[in-house]
Amino acid sequence: MEDNGAEFKGISVHNFSEKILEQVVHFHVMKLSGGFFLWVGSAPVLSNLAVSMSSKYDSMPLSTLVMGDPSNTAPNSLAQRLAKKTKKQVFVSYSLPMTDSSLSLLVENRIKKELELHPEHF
Amino acid sequence: MYLFLSFFLCRVNKMSESVIRSKQAQREVNGISTEVVCTEFSNYIFVVLTQYGKIGTLISVTPDSRSNDLSTPTFSTKVLLGKDEPLTHVCAKNLAMFVSQESGNRPVLLGLALKDSSIDAIKQIKEMIKSCQVW
Repeated sequence: MEDNGAEFKGISVHNFSEKILEQVVHFHVMKLSGGFFLWVGSAPVLSNLAVSMSSKYDSMPLSTLVMGDPSNTAPNSLAQRLAKKTKKQVFVSYSLPMTDSSLSLLVENRIKKELELHPEHF
Repeated sequence: MYLFLSFFLCRVNKMSESVIRSKQAQREVNGISTEVVCTEFSNYIFVVLTQYGKIGTLISVTPDSRSNDLSTPTFSTKVLLGKDEPLTHVCAKNLAMFVSQESGNRPVLLGLALKDSSIDAIKQIKEMIKSCQVW
């Protein structure tokens, strides 16, 4: 199965954590063929799920929330930005309080750092 | 010195330890490479069953709140993403009901991407799920 020119070698799981603004944030990545699933949270709850992928009709990837509260835009926007960056199909579940916008910015930067350090896990 | 070191190692361990537990398996089912990944959340069990390496159709399998009689439990299935066809609901219920029952009636989020949905294949895949028990 082709995956951006490289051969897909099966699903793999990658976990990492980081203390951000006095709280430990956990990241869980499941690498899939042509995409990945990413869960972000401080407690092991699955409260929402967004899916995003690029479209040839728009420069911004399409994104939709398949589970959770539609008023919480965090999972959708994160999925969309990661899909844009990686050109892959991205599933995102974001279970952190959305009251703090600086937290979500730092969280996104941490994901981008991991994408650069360990692209093989995504 | 030793105390300091052990304290440090303990911290490192704690940080690298994930709050999310998952188990996976890979096997040939009727000649098709099949992968199973089960992930535990406190409010969900996430199960990926794939012969394409992709999540495919996303289905939620939720136990219905039981009526007062002791009848057999019933489940609702909902296709969240992908083709909503009757066979998908049948496969999802068949594959995920026992996961929900064994995990204290937690709902199951199922990613299903199968080339072979025969009863025989489903039976074998069910055994694979049992080998990835995280609940």
